[in-house]
Amino acid sequence: MTTVLVIVALLVGAYLVAVLESWTSTGRLSFASPLLAGLALVGRESLVPRKSDRIFFEVGPVLLLVSAVLAAAVLPLSPGLIITDLTTGALFVNAALAYVMVALLMAGWGPDGAYAMVGGFRFLGQLVGYSMPIVMAIVGVAMRAESLVTTQIVESQVTLPNAVYQPVGFMIFFVAAMAVCFLPPFDLPTAPGELAGGVMAEYTGWRLAVMRLARAVLVVTLAASVTVFYLGGWNGPVLPPWAWTAVKTLAVAAVMLVAGRYVPRLREEHLLAWYWKFAIPLALLNILYVGIVLIAGSSSSMSM
Amino acid sequence: MSALAQYALLLALAAGVVGLALSLHGISRSLGKPREEEGKDVPATAGKLHRDPVWARYHVRYYGYALLFLAFDMEMAFMYPWAVVYKELGLVALLDMGVFLAILFLGLLYGWSQGALRRQ
Repeated sequence: MTTVLVIVALLVGAYLVAVLESWTSTGRLSFASPLLAGLALVGRESLVPRKSDRIFFEVGPVLLLVSAVLAAAVLPLSPGLIITDLTTGALFVNAALAYVMVALLMAGWGPDGAYAMVGGFRFLGQLVGYSMPIVMAIVGVAMRAESLVTTQIVESQVTLPNAVYQPVGFMIFFVAAMAVCFLPPFDLPTAPGELAGGVMAEYTGWRLAVMRLARAVLVVTLAASVTVFYLGGWNGPVLPPWAWTAVKTLAVAAVMLVAGRYVPRLREEHLLAWYWKFAIPLALLNILYVGIVLIAGSSSSMSM
Repeated sequence: MSALAQYALLLALAAGVVGLALSLHGISRSLGKPREEEGKDVPATAGKLHRDPVWARYHVRYYGYALLFLAFDMEMAFMYPWAVVYKELGLVALLDMGVFLAILFLGLLYGWSQGALRRQ
């Protein structure tokens, strides 16, 4: 039952993200367009490129959706409303999201097209950049919660959300999350206008529909993980817990989608340089900061 | 829920996604097959199928970062269990991991000074 509820919530979120995303690119708020576009894509022919690596080509979009759904499965919407409350939840999110890179690399390699290949390998480079900051930021969260269980991470933020407790970690995680779901300043693998869609260039018909759905679900998953790890999850006054999660997740997704409109796309070498020379040292300092604050807090409470 | 049941549920979710893709494929196929047309299945390039395999078109110039990434990725495997018991162990844990991270961080700075952090 909870599984069905969470999946429905995920689909509704993906639909709203699709509406928002079309609004950021066209300027019109059309609530029917994602549904109509999805239906039309299923009705269209889905071509397989001539010299494609068939297994990689077919697996790519499906694996992208699998990784997004599995990462969402360990994120709580409200107390009890979670698919699986794994003891290694925060680590599992990382493990599932690592497959985003594998899926995009498969989708890039599979069709044997120049644009797709460049997009796929660019995303591999993007992973080399974003994955360390995202993992290190979660370490700071786990240190405070003394647990990797996502529900306990939310409960550790009852007094103060992590976004205030460790603002540096929050900013690093937010930016890296945008890079995971390849949203505009980091949309190197798709790069419309430069790579003609990149990894999505060779996909048509229902395969493209799966890929677009996977991308929308991925945005929801990342927004939900920002909510759970940094914005206090379901904690909040007046409204019921699930409503707080929904509001926070949608707000994060909206900020992620809109922010990219005002920043030019980063070049691959600049992106890597920024992540390694700036974000990774900052993330390490964030771990040190959280460590010192935790020790200072526990020793002051002991002396009292 | 036992740990085994949790992983079984996750496996079922993955299987469900594959099932969704297969049923979309089924719906699409039931509506008709793609018509055979010349040049239709050529990837988007100049309208001609290229002679060579296309992976030669991209040069992985971020391999310097990729090597550093391997070192850091290994280190992260140790950080998660450490983070869970951190508060319990207190200052000892901070010093232990501090020394480890300082060595790694010096490695990063050394790599930076030797020009590892740029497009090769």
